[in-house]
Amino acid sequence: MDEFLAQFLIESRELAGEAVDDLLELEKNPGNRERFDDVFRAFHTLKGGAGIVEFKAMQEALHSAEDVLAAARAGATSVSPSDIGNCLACLDQIDEWLDTIESTGALPSDADAGALVARFGRSTAEERTAARASGADRSWIAKLLAARGAAAQRAQTAIRYRPTAESFFRHEDPLERVAALPGLLAVDVEPRAPWPPLEELDPYSCNLTITALCACAPAEAVAALGGAIAECEVEPAQAAPPAAAAPKLAARADELLAAQLHVLAETGEEAPAARIASAGRVAANVLRHTGRHADAERIAAVTQEAAARAAPEELRRALAALLEGGADAAAVATTERQSAQREQTLRVAAPRVDTLVRLTSELTVAKNAIGHAVKLAEDQGSPLTATLKQRHEALDRLVGELQRSVLTLRVLPLRAAFQRFPRLVREMAADLHKPVTLVLEGEHTEADKTIVELIGEPLVHVLRNAMDHGIEDEATRAAAGKPTVATIRLRALREGDHVVIEVIDDGRGIDVARVREIASERKVAAAEALESMSDPEVIDLIFAPGLSTAKAVTALSGRGVGLDAVRTAVKRLGGQVAVSRSGPGGTTVRLTLPFSVMMTEVMTVEAGGQPFGIPLEAVVETLRIPVTDVFAVGSAQAIVLRGRTVPLVDLAQSLGTAAAPLGGDSTLVVIAELDGDVGALKVDRVGERMAIMLQPPGGLLAGLPGIAGYTLRGDGSVLLLLDLEELLR
Amino acid sequence: MTVALRDDRVIVLAGRCGVDDAEALQRHLLIAPDSTIEWSTCEQLHAAVLQVLLVAKPRIEGVPSSLFLSAHVAPLVRRPAS
Repeated sequence: MDEFLAQFLIESRELAGEAVDDLLELEKNPGNRERFDDVFRAFHTLKGGAGIVEFKAMQEALHSAEDVLAAARAGATSVSPSDIGNCLACLDQIDEWLDTIESTGALPSDADAGALVARFGRSTAEERTAARASGADRSWIAKLLAARGAAAQRAQTAIRYRPTAESFFRHEDPLERVAALPGLLAVDVEPRAPWPPLEELDPYSCNLTITALCACAPAEAVAALGGAIAECEVEPAQAAPPAAAAPKLAARADELLAAQLHVLAETGEEAPAARIASAGRVAANVLRHTGRHADAERIAAVTQEAAARAAPEELRRALAALLEGGADAAAVATTERQSAQREQTLRVAAPRVDTLVRLTSELTVAKNAIGHAVKLAEDQGSPLTATLKQRHEALDRLVGELQRSVLTLRVLPLRAAFQRFPRLVREMAADLHKPVTLVLEGEHTEADKTIVELIGEPLVHVLRNAMDHGIEDEATRAAAGKPTVATIRLRALREGDHVVIEVIDDGRGIDVARVREIASERKVAAAEALESMSDPEVIDLIFAPGLSTAKAVTALSGRGVGLDAVRTAVKRLGGQVAVSRSGPGGTTVRLTLPFSVMMTEVMTVEAGGQPFGIPLEAVVETLRIPVTDVFAVGSAQAIVLRGRTVPLVDLAQSLGTAAAPLGGDSTLVVIAELDGDVGALKVDRVGERMAIMLQPPGGLLAGLPGIAGYTLRGDGSVLLLLDLEELLR
Repeated sequence: MTVALRDDRVIVLAGRCGVDDAEALQRHLLIAPDSTIEWSTCEQLHAAVLQVLLVAKPRIEGVPSSLFLSAHVAPLVRRPAS
């Protein structure tokens, strides 16, 4: 792929991502001018980029999107929900095109923006008609809200649906459309023309104007109305908040004014009069450009006088006064913070960061080797020992710091994984006719890049499970006295060395008795084992392979997305997943993941003359047992540990190194536990604990069974990390 | 048949009342204007049928099982004549 195209790809992805965020935010808060401007800018920049690489279809699609946005901007109206839907569809298409570019390295030859352009064209035409018909009249909304006191308070969207007289012949049932609106609160019906007497009524000519209030976002209503949208007006139910009063001075202008103050305070080589004149000129220009002509003239006058007398004090006072009274401090602070954030972000290709991580890990190894050398020097009584020790300590500290900083380079906010969920949930909600609000919390929580990249898939499963089987349909919720619009919270937080992600729904919760039943029916666990299990233990069974929660718990026709897939995926990332009941109803699925996947605490052991690492978190204890306690079970060996039979794995043998003969009358074992499976590993020696940077097995090591990865040790030897899951199975 | 006449004076709306039922209902109501509508087993009501109910304003009995009908449509067709 040529460099231009690669750059275009990176930038377009970023811009499209931002635009989706902004659009979704705008959907919630249509009056947010700033977001609107951000969206506009993003579309404009995307279009510019498409022009540079000569991607015509994308240019066309964006151009029509921009037209619609520009019309909304010019009309000083808030952007309509259907516009937002269309813009999102446009970005979806662009995303697809970008995927094609990424995989083929070339512009998609069959890209066609026709459908999108038509879509935008239609929407503008529709809006013009609607605007003409209603005369931008929002009084029907006020009337509807006034008539429905209680419902009005929760209403987010008002809909006026005026099906044409022939709509019944198009197999359209306006009432069914309205019934399908998510979070429907109130419906009213009026005749368009006065009703004739019954004998003259043509029941097949639609004469209805239907108004409705919904507790869903306007765009959701638009989605639910589908093909009928052309005959509908969809408006936010609450009057749009007045646009925030423009800050008295743009933050940038303030910065410039403040800079002039500094210029005045300086005592440079430049003549004071010249300095005053130049500072005053800049300040006056800034003021003029921000529309403060009176202030500009005043400053110009003060400047002239101050320059003539070479006395900067007056101008300084005037500028300081402007600054103090002029700016909305809070607004300035935020803008400044934002601009500061932008400036401090560097775009670095991921492979470069990985190289840095690798180099740091090698540096750690080299540092450890120096540690060895120091020890050697000490043993030989070298006079340099003290100096070497001191230097080694300093190096140790620095490398440790470097390691920590480098690891944070691989860190991304979870937002990157979360950002597609609002749309996903929205689509699922429309498909399933279950209105749901997704609340994101802590999406700025950071986690290792690998986790952020790989956690999306399991989370989709969890969310889908919650939507499909946790959340009840509207009628059931209403009958249970719950709000008809369900809530799913997706929450991320940092807990020590772990990142926790929770999916909390307020659905029907897990039916423990039913899980017990199914588990015994499908022989997921033995009947007596089930009986002795506590409720949380039974709930945990929904992760067991073979027990699809879908069919088991809710008897709904599930998609069969077993939660066992989620557990497997999370485990692969070194994490855990647990499920519990939340509140009176509802379910919480909790994913606990390591903050960094690169660092692993290990305990070293030796078997067959070779050192191995065992993940420290799996080690229960180390024991020396008499050889007579080892007995054969078929071809395998086992020991009895506190009344429990534990399989014994001869590490040297299973890893193919020469089996050490059972020397002496006792043997050393490490008891390890993984997901409740306990195993004893027979080893020759137990070594030290250490934190290592794990490298995935590559090259010759890739095919080795029982090995999860490797690291280099201080003396240059290779330490293989054991894959306990494979060994204990 | 989703629109049925019972005992001459009760019109039963049952199941999913589609667009074609509007005319039948209109006919029934023209013949027997003071009929009572019984719709407790009605699951769905086409807008065309609703139009007939809105114009004829018959007495309506029963609570339909559909949440949409009982919560949102019933108040519309039960409105006193204006």
